[in-house]
Amino acid sequence: MSSSPVRTWIARVLITLVIATITLVFVLMFIQFVWGGDVGHQLTTLVPRGSFAQSIQTLVNPVFAIAWFVLLAVCGGVGFIAWKFRDRGDDDDEFPVQLHGKTSFEIGWTLLPALVLAAVGVFTVLTLIDLNKPAPQALQIEVYGQQWWWGFHYDVDNDGNFTGAGDVTTATELVIPVGREVQLSVTSNDVIHSFWIPALNGKRDAVPGQHHPWKLKATEAGVFRGQCTEFCGLSHANMRMLVRALPPDEYAAWLANQQKTAVEPAAGSQAAEGKKIFLAQLCSSCHLINGVNNEKVEGEKGVSSQLVSGVAPDLTHIATRGTFVGSIYNLYSPDPATPDNPSGNAGDVALPGNPGGALTGGDSSPYIFNSPALEAWLRNPPAMKPAYAQTPTIVNGVPLLRGMPNLGLSETQIDQLVAYLETLK
Amino acid sequence: MALVEPTPSGPLALPSGGDTSDFKPLGVFARPVDPKRSWRKWLFTVDHKKIGIMYGTAAMFFFLIGGSEALLIRAQLWAPRGKLLSAELYNQVFTMHGTTMVFLVVMPIGAAFANYLMPLQIGARDVAFPRINAFSFWCFLSGGLFLNSSWLFGGGADGGWFMYAPNSGVIFSPGHGIDFWNLGLIITGIASLTGAVNLIVTVLNMRCPGMTLMRMPVFTWMTLVTQFLLLFAIPVLTAAQFLLMFDRLFDANFFNVKNGGNPLLWEHLFWIFGHPEVYLMILPAFGLVSEMLPVFSRKPIFGYPFIVFSGVAIGFMGWGVWAHHMFVSGIGPISVTTFSLTTMFIAVPTGVKILNWTATMWGGKLKFSTPMLFSIGLVTMFTIGGLSGVTHAVAPADTQQTDTYYIVAHFHYVLFGGAFLGFMGGMYFYWPKLFGHMLNETLGKTNFWLMLLGFNLTFGPMHILGLQGMSRRIYTYDAGYGFELWNKVATIGAFTLASSVALFLFNVFYSRAKAKHLPNPGPDPWDARTIEWMIPSPVPEYNYDPIPTVTRVDDFWYRKYAETPDHRLVRTHTIEEVAQTGDSTGVHLPSPSYWPIVLAFGLPIIAYGLIYSLWLCAVGGVVVVAAIYGWALEPPDAPGGDHGEHHEPDAGGELPADADASTSASADEKEVETVG
Repeated sequence: MSSSPVRTWIARVLITLVIATITLVFVLMFIQFVWGGDVGHQLTTLVPRGSFAQSIQTLVNPVFAIAWFVLLAVCGGVGFIAWKFRDRGDDDDEFPVQLHGKTSFEIGWTLLPALVLAAVGVFTVLTLIDLNKPAPQALQIEVYGQQWWWGFHYDVDNDGNFTGAGDVTTATELVIPVGREVQLSVTSNDVIHSFWIPALNGKRDAVPGQHHPWKLKATEAGVFRGQCTEFCGLSHANMRMLVRALPPDEYAAWLANQQKTAVEPAAGSQAAEGKKIFLAQLCSSCHLINGVNNEKVEGEKGVSSQLVSGVAPDLTHIATRGTFVGSIYNLYSPDPATPDNPSGNAGDVALPGNPGGALTGGDSSPYIFNSPALEAWLRNPPAMKPAYAQTPTIVNGVPLLRGMPNLGLSETQIDQLVAYLETLK
Repeated sequence: MALVEPTPSGPLALPSGGDTSDFKPLGVFARPVDPKRSWRKWLFTVDHKKIGIMYGTAAMFFFLIGGSEALLIRAQLWAPRGKLLSAELYNQVFTMHGTTMVFLVVMPIGAAFANYLMPLQIGARDVAFPRINAFSFWCFLSGGLFLNSSWLFGGGADGGWFMYAPNSGVIFSPGHGIDFWNLGLIITGIASLTGAVNLIVTVLNMRCPGMTLMRMPVFTWMTLVTQFLLLFAIPVLTAAQFLLMFDRLFDANFFNVKNGGNPLLWEHLFWIFGHPEVYLMILPAFGLVSEMLPVFSRKPIFGYPFIVFSGVAIGFMGWGVWAHHMFVSGIGPISVTTFSLTTMFIAVPTGVKILNWTATMWGGKLKFSTPMLFSIGLVTMFTIGGLSGVTHAVAPADTQQTDTYYIVAHFHYVLFGGAFLGFMGGMYFYWPKLFGHMLNETLGKTNFWLMLLGFNLTFGPMHILGLQGMSRRIYTYDAGYGFELWNKVATIGAFTLASSVALFLFNVFYSRAKAKHLPNPGPDPWDARTIEWMIPSPVPEYNYDPIPTVTRVDDFWYRKYAETPDHRLVRTHTIEEVAQTGDSTGVHLPSPSYWPIVLAFGLPIIAYGLIYSLWLCAVGGVVVVAAIYGWALEPPDAPGGDHGEHHEPDAGGELPADADASTSASADEKEVETVG
C-alpha cells in the first residue's frame, strides 16, 4: 500500500470498521446466546423445557464456555502478536531470532487440549448413558414420518401393540402429559425424516424399516414446536409438528376423547352432507375417520393402491388439533377472539393455533375455527403445500400419489366438508 | 529418472522422435508437436504447470457457478416465505451448490496447487505420469461439465449433496438430476483417483537429490497426505455410487427397504468417504499457510516435525470419525459414544497446528502483505470452525445442532474460512511465480478485508440461527420464529462476499494489464524459503536446470542466508547469485499427447448413454477404447523431439561455502539413489 499518510489513515479507518463490524456481530450473537431467551424463538435449543433437553444443555454449556474462551484467546492472541511483532519498517536485513521450535511447548499444547477433551469426554459418556436408558413404564408412542407430515400411534394399554383396541392414532400434533416420561419409537413410511422438538430433546432420525427409541419428558405445560430436520424431499421445509404438554388431568380428558369413534353429525345438517361427500369422493380412500370408513382404508382395496407412503392423516379428531397440513397452517386462531378482533388473527401462523376447549372435545371459544384456511386447502392442496400430488409416481407399474391432489370440489362441497370436519372433535 | 535419461536402451526402448523407423502400424499417430503459441498448447499439454493453471481456472469457473447458486439461496431466505425460487428449484440449487463447491471448487483448487507447486517444491521436471496428469484434469472437467449439464436436461439433482437413500431413489426423485449427479461424480472420482496415484508416485520417487521426506516443504507433505486420503476415500464413494446407479437405472434394491435394502448402508459408505474428504479439502490450505507464514514472519516454521506429523495424524485419525455425521441416525449408543470420543481427539492435532502457526508469528518481523493477511485470516477463522466442531463432537449436543444452520456455519468456517482463505492467500503468494507479475497489493488487501467482512456477516449469524432452531435445507421459513434479522444480515454478507470475489477477478485482469509496464518481479519477490523461488518467474518449461541438490529444510533460504550460533541471520549471497537463470536449451521433456482429452471426453458420452440410450454407451465405449489404444501405442516423443543434452543434478559444491556444518551434503549421498 502507498506510504502516503492520507491513504494509510483511510486504510486504518476502514480496517478498524471491518474489525468493529465483525466484533459487533459476534457480540450481538453472544448476547442472544446467553440472554436471548425463547421470546419469539419457538424452536430455540437454548431454553430447555424438558428434562432431556436440560441434560444436554447442562452438558454442553461448559463446552460452549471453553469454546468462547479459546476463541477469544486465539483471536486476541493473534491480534496481539500481529500488533506487537509488526514490521516497523526499519532495516530489511535486520532479522528476528530464528527459533525453529521448542519441543516442551509443543508437547504441552498437545497434552493440554487432550486433557480438557478427555474431561469433556467423561461427562459426555455419562450423559449418553443417562439419555439412552430404556423406559419400559413410560408412555409408549410410535412416531412415524412420511412425506410430509408426522403421525402418532399411542399404545395406551402398554401391551406392545400400537394399534390395538383402545389405542389412539393422531397426526401432526403430539399430546403428552407433563412430568411423565414418554418413550417414542421413531420410524418412517418412505424416506428418512428426523423428529425434533428442540425444547424437549435433540433429534432422532426416522428411518424406514427401523424403529429408533427416543425419549421426551416435559417439565412444564406448553406448546413446543418441531421441524423435520432430515432433508426428505420437496416439502421438507413444510414438514413440521408440535407437542402439546398437558397437565395429567387434562391429558386424561384428551385421551378419553381420542379413544371415542368420530362424532356423528346431526341428520340433515350441512355436516351430514359433508360426511356423504367424504365417503363418496376420493377423501375416504386415503384418510381414515374411525367409525366411518375403517373397512375402506384397512381392506384389500385400501390406501396401498393409491399412495406411495401409506394412509393419509387420521381425521377422526382433526378438530381437536390447533394446526393442520404438517403444522404449517392454523386450524384455530392462536389469539382469542375479542369484540375488537373477532377473527382472533386466524391466519397468522407466527404462533400455533389454539383449539381451546376443543382439545378435549368441548367448545373452542374464544378461539375461532379457521375455516378460510381449510377451504383454501380443499380448493387446491398442491398450491398450499408443494407435493408431487398431481403427477403419479410409477412404482412397479402402478401409478401412486404423494400428497393430496386437487379433487376439483365445488364450493358447495367444500363448505359442506368444512362443516363436517369442524364437528370432528 | 526417466526424464533425464540420456539415451534409450534395453528392451523397452522405443524409437525416439518417430524418425528412426518407417513402420507405421494402424492407429499409431505421431504425438503433437509442441506448438509455441496456440490453443493446442493447452489442449494436448502434459506440462504439470499448464495443467495446474487449467485446474485452477476451471475451478474458479465452477466457483462462479456455485457462488451464484449460493446467492440464489441467500436471496430466497432474505425474508420469510421467499418467493424467488420454488421448493423444487431451491432443493436443486442447494444440492448443486454443495456438490459444486466440494467436488468442483475446493478439491480441484487443491489439485491445482498440488499440480503446479509440488513438482517445483521437490525439484522435479514434471510429475511421474504426465499423460495421466492431463487425463486427470480433462476427466475432472468433463465430469464437472456433465454434472452441470443437468440444468439443461430437466434440472439438477435434488437430494442434497449427501444424497441419502431412499430419497435418492427413482420413486422419490423420478427426474434425471440425481443420475447426472451420480455419474458426473463417478467421472470426477476417476480424475481424483488417477491424480492421487500420480502425485503419490511423484512425491515418493521424483524428489531431487538430498530432498529427504523430512526436508520436504510442508505443502508437499500435506499434498502427500491429501493424495493418500483421496486414494482410499474416493473408491468408497464410487462403490456407493455404483450401488445407487444400479438402484436407479437397473431396478436393483440396495437401498430399497421393502425388498430388504438398507438406507444406513448409504450413510455409512458416504461418510466413510465424506469425512476424509473434509480433511483432504483442508490440508492443502494448511500446507499453503505453512509456506506463507514463515516467509512473512521472517522466521522458520515453528516445529516443522510437529506440523508435519500433526498433518499425518489428521490423515490417519480422519478415518475414525465418520459416524459423527450420523449421531442421530439411530446407530446405537455404543457407536455414538465411540465416535464422539474419536471426534474430540482429532481436535488435538488440529489445535497443535494452530498453536504452531501462532508461535511461528511470535517474535517475528511480520510483513502484512496480502498472502499474510489471508494466512492470518485462516488461522483465526478456522479456529472458530474448529471450536464449533468440538461442540458437536459432544454427541448429545449434536442431536440438537445437527442439520441446523449451526452446522452450516461450522463447515463454512472450516471450508471457506479455512480452505478458501488459504487458497486465496496462496494465489496472491504464487501469482508472480505462475504468471511473472504480481497482483496489485492495494486491491489485494481491500479484497481480503472485504472478503473477511462478507464472510463473517454471512456465516457468523448462522451460528445463532442454528442454535435458535433454524433447520438446514428449508426453502421457506415463517415469521414468528425469530429468524428474520439474522437471515437478512447473512444475505447482506453473501452479497458483500460476492463483491470481494468480483474484486479479486478485477485484480487479476487489472494487474495483468498493468504488468506490461512493470519489470519482472524476479525469481524471489517475497524473499521466500523454498526452492521453487530459485527459478525464474514465470517458471521455465523445464523447471530446473540443473536439478538442485537439497541439504535441509528451507534449502533456498539457507542459500541466501547463514544462521549464526545465536540464531541470527547473515546474508551470504544475493538472489542473483543463487537463482537459476532459466536460459537452458535442449532439456528433454515429455511430449504432448492427443489421447488424454479424447479418453476423458469419451466418459460422459457413456454416462449420457446410461441415462438416455444404451446405444450411446456403445459410441462412448468406442471412443474410450480407441483413446486407450492410441495412448498405448503412440510413440514416446513428438517428431523432432530428441533427448537433448545430458543435464546432471547440480553438485553439492555449488552450495554456499560458508554454510554451517548442518547444511553439509555429504551425509545425504545415500539419499540420491532413492531418486530415480
